[in-house]
Amino acid sequence: MEEKKTLLSIRDLKKVYTTREGELEALGSVSFDVGRQEFVSIVGPSGCGKTTLMRIIAGLMPQTSGELIVDKDYFDPQKDVGFVFQKALLLDWRRVIDNVLLPIEILKLDKKKYIPRAMELLELVGLKGFEKCYPNELSGGMQQRVSIARALIHDPKLILMDEPFGALDAITREKMNFELLRIWAESKKTVLFVTHEISEAVFLSDRIIVLSARPSKMVGNVEIELPRPRTLEQKLLPEFNRYALDIYNKLEVK
Amino acid sequence: MKKKPMKKRVIGFVKKLIGVAVVLGIWEAVVKIFHIKKYILPSPVLVFQSLFDPAKAAKNDWWLHIGTTSGEILLSFFVTLLAGVLLALLIAWSKPLNKMIMPVIVLLNSIPKIALAPLILLWFGYGLQTNVFVAVLVAFFPVVINTVTGLIEIDDNLLDLVNYLGASKRQVFMKIRIPNALPHLFAGLKTSATMCVTGSIVGEFIASKNGLGRLLRSAQANIDMATMFACLLLLSIIGLIFFKLISLAEHACMPWSDLGGGEE
Repeated sequence: MEEKKTLLSIRDLKKVYTTREGELEALGSVSFDVGRQEFVSIVGPSGCGKTTLMRIIAGLMPQTSGELIVDKDYFDPQKDVGFVFQKALLLDWRRVIDNVLLPIEILKLDKKKYIPRAMELLELVGLKGFEKCYPNELSGGMQQRVSIARALIHDPKLILMDEPFGALDAITREKMNFELLRIWAESKKTVLFVTHEISEAVFLSDRIIVLSARPSKMVGNVEIELPRPRTLEQKLLPEFNRYALDIYNKLEVK
Repeated sequence: MKKKPMKKRVIGFVKKLIGVAVVLGIWEAVVKIFHIKKYILPSPVLVFQSLFDPAKAAKNDWWLHIGTTSGEILLSFFVTLLAGVLLALLIAWSKPLNKMIMPVIVLLNSIPKIALAPLILLWFGYGLQTNVFVAVLVAFFPVVINTVTGLIEIDDNLLDLVNYLGASKRQVFMKIRIPNALPHLFAGLKTSATMCVTGSIVGEFIASKNGLGRLLRSAQANIDMATMFACLLLLSIIGLIFFKLISLAEHACMPWSDLGGGEE
């Protein structure tokens, strides 16, 4: 089964920041695997190093120690990663379509060839007809959807999402979760999703990595065996709540 | 994109005209009622006569002076723009250069530039080059400082956005830093535009054969108040047109800037 193959192996990854007050351990020895086409969430309290972990995986900062192992023949960490940030981070001076095509320009690929794909992706995220708009003509939720299309444009194998819906209201957020699952199911990507909303993580994921507060340790690696496609009704199931409770217990919430 | 309808714009323009007409009317009335001597405050009618009455306008070659001053302003503006942007790019590109050049710029900026005009006259002599140099000197720093700010002060997250894909320094400049600096550049240019006008006039005060600044000085020597006021009027009109042109260029370069926030 291809799905069981590993895309990314994280081994004893550690990050220590040197500050004026001394050393600050942002991420303490984390190890887990991410399979191909798997949806893995990372949950934990603020400041537990979730964002740090994502930035290390994206190559935006070096780790202090530990390893990131990838199958180089299958996966190039420079080109095959798409990153959705907490903020939409659209460039004000580019129209929606040109924002989506930004990674193509940076990777020096043939922009013309990717225009049809950009249009398809905009349709996929429900923004057909908005390609000529400027970002400040769109609402927050629409902007974040543009940023998802942008993260998918260069057909990356791994999508890193760092609390992408944190700034949205609860209703929009719920809608976006459904859209995300639909996009994930259609595009067959691997997703690594950071959140501090436990029920959101249970709803979306195949597996949840639980990180404790600083100095952060990995305190859980929970398989979520709810059938797909996920539905709102599942949130009422005892299993759903047991998963959530299990994670709360691992985080020592009393 | 969202232009005001034509009717509203016409009404707005008419309101402005009425405002100006009221001020001119009060001015004329005050001069008439209090019998103010024309060598103290000329009436608007006298000022307009000095510009448009063929007999009176002939003693000054208005178009020559307008052309000379406008030419100096435009030339100094484009030199400022080109030199300012190039220097700003250089400073933003290289950290060591930034550390070396910025303190010098801040130091030079603290000199009252107008006070250097007599020195520049000695170096460059009478003529256009002196006026333009004075104007550039006065107008140069806001462009450099603003543009450098726009190039350097960027949301780190925007840099992450391209850096995780391995963007080169050149790409970061072309795709992020330069567009990000555009609003700052135009803010600097607007400040500089006024300074170019001031600089050109001061240049003409000290060293010039033609130009409205020169004319202003010679009218002063003759206590020709009407001509002096006409010069001031022309200068403010030139300044306004110039400012408007920069605004138009700003909108053309940044079509996204005047769009409001939308709702889903």
